[in-house]
Amino acid sequence: MKLLTKTTLYIATLSLFLFFIMGIIFFHVLKNMSIAELNRDLTGIQEVVDDIFPHFLGGQLTGLPGLDSISIEQARTGMDPSDQFGDTLMYEARTNQFRTYRYLQFQVEHGNVAYTVKLFKSTTPADQLVEKVTLMMTMMVILFLAGIFFLNRFIFANLWKDFFDALEKLKQFDTVKEPITLGEPDVEEFMELKKVLERMTLRLSSDYRELREYTDHTTHELQTPLAVIKTKIELLMQSSNLGSGEMQLLQSINTSINHLSRLNTTLALITRIENQQFTDRKEINLSAMVNDHIEMFQELIALREISVETDISDKEKVISMDMGLADIMITNLLKNAIVHNEDGGRIFIEITDEVLRISNNGPSLKFNEQDLFRRFVRDTKKTGNFGLGLSLVKKICDYYGFKLSYMHENSLHIFTIQFLS
Amino acid sequence: MQILIVEDELPLMESMVTYLEMEGFKCEQASSFHAGLCTIDKHDYICMLIDLNLPDGDGLELVKLARQNQSSSGIIIISARNALEERVKGLSMGADDYLVKPFHLSELSARIQSVARRTRTQGEEILKFGVIRVMPEERTCFVNDSQVELTRKEHDLLLYLMSNRNRVVTKESIGDYLWGEYGGGYGSYDFIYTHLKNLKRKLLDAGSPDYIQNIYGVGYKFTLE
Repeated sequence: MKLLTKTTLYIATLSLFLFFIMGIIFFHVLKNMSIAELNRDLTGIQEVVDDIFPHFLGGQLTGLPGLDSISIEQARTGMDPSDQFGDTLMYEARTNQFRTYRYLQFQVEHGNVAYTVKLFKSTTPADQLVEKVTLMMTMMVILFLAGIFFLNRFIFANLWKDFFDALEKLKQFDTVKEPITLGEPDVEEFMELKKVLERMTLRLSSDYRELREYTDHTTHELQTPLAVIKTKIELLMQSSNLGSGEMQLLQSINTSINHLSRLNTTLALITRIENQQFTDRKEINLSAMVNDHIEMFQELIALREISVETDISDKEKVISMDMGLADIMITNLLKNAIVHNEDGGRIFIEITDEVLRISNNGPSLKFNEQDLFRRFVRDTKKTGNFGLGLSLVKKICDYYGFKLSYMHENSLHIFTIQFLS
Repeated sequence: MQILIVEDELPLMESMVTYLEMEGFKCEQASSFHAGLCTIDKHDYICMLIDLNLPDGDGLELVKLARQNQSSSGIIIISARNALEERVKGLSMGADDYLVKPFHLSELSARIQSVARRTRTQGEEILKFGVIRVMPEERTCFVNDSQVELTRKEHDLLLYLMSNRNRVVTKESIGDYLWGEYGGGYGSYDFIYTHLKNLKRKLLDAGSPDYIQNIYGVGYKFTLE
């Protein structure tokens, strides 16, 4: 839910609740005030009636100003002689309606006879007043809510502008790019936000740059001493006075150096992919590339007597990615299918518009299927294998948003890359 | 047979110089960009080896200048960076080859000779070793006067061994030079053995003495002895 919607909703809910409570209280207070007013009027009239009661008895008077109706009758025995206020409904023939009246009932003694007098006053004018006031209140509430709604919009458009600007810039921020710079907000909190954001993105950018340089330097710095060691060993091998034992020692050092250097190169590559340093994209004909690579691996394939079957759709599959990474991805997948195959085994390669699928025979995995794409996970019995090839493929797939998955079915290891657009 | 080496890592430079001088090359050494600039015109080099990462300048600049000044020299870039874009950039600047550190000295030597053949040789060059004659351009090989039919890989293998005659050549270097990424990689160099066995048999069948000496567990040595 958007900030604006949520704020408006909160304010609307709270206002409605408060106005509702206030409305009830206000209505009751108003109602009580109008009743008190009626009671006061009736008491005033009672005094007048007391004074001139005989006139009423005689029939000279039938009403008084401010009074709607009066009834006089002989008091029945046992009736409460005290003054009583009450409400009653009376039928009005003129409007054919029942209307509410306030009455005051009291006793008057005249010539040793007690009379019960009832004074009636209509509550309609007071009720109408209460109604009108309530209506006006409701209108005010509606106007107020509308005002709040528009005020909120206005506040958002103006007061929060800097916040939304910052959010937009933050969305587009990328560690590869420059740190963000924001305008000068006049709200203190946004000023702080600006400072924090600018400092953070500056930090991110510089950290990222440093990491990139560090990786770059480390690889370079490591490769050079490795090159020195390697060439020195090769020179040493040329000495004529070395025995077979010494030669094999040297060779064993040499092999380790080669491993170390290959490991270093691969790790540097993975780091470079993680750092998103491959931004150059080319349209690559996947089908042609796979065919080329099969050709390149022909020696290795022939040596192990592996048969390769391809099912490549006529429509050429074109993917957009870095040339070098595409090359590494295909090389590693094919190499994996060859190296972990069995002698005389088979490889199936299928390319459609959606997937590249490479399946191969081979002994079952010596580790958990879930660990297949993790670094340094490998069949430890095979020497010279780092367990980096597939994790590299995974990294490349992740980088381009391809989905790499593994299945074991009908004693085939099946690797599938799904090209999601 | 002059070679210019521009490399700031002195121990590496020494190794290259020692090995190449054993092969009969004369080496001019430059350990910085500046020194490289000064020596670029000193001789008519058959090949220039240029490191890309120099402390006082960009090796690529040097490649560009070298290409302008000595059009008939071979240029090989030596770099610790193994990125495709760097490789493409280097080659487009006029380099003939790109070698990634760490490399095998035997591979370096073979590449120098291959580049030198491509850029220097006028007409057909004939390489001789004992009773073997190889014409690299035509990819033909003779033992005494009878032609030996070799496959492409066997031919490359023979050339590689001849480029490193009397040297111990490791299996790894053969694998890396002839197959690169597409070789065994995972410590398996069995297929090199297959090719070598075939080459050896073809040469012996044609009447050549056995020049290929097997050094157990290490590699091979191509020698007259």
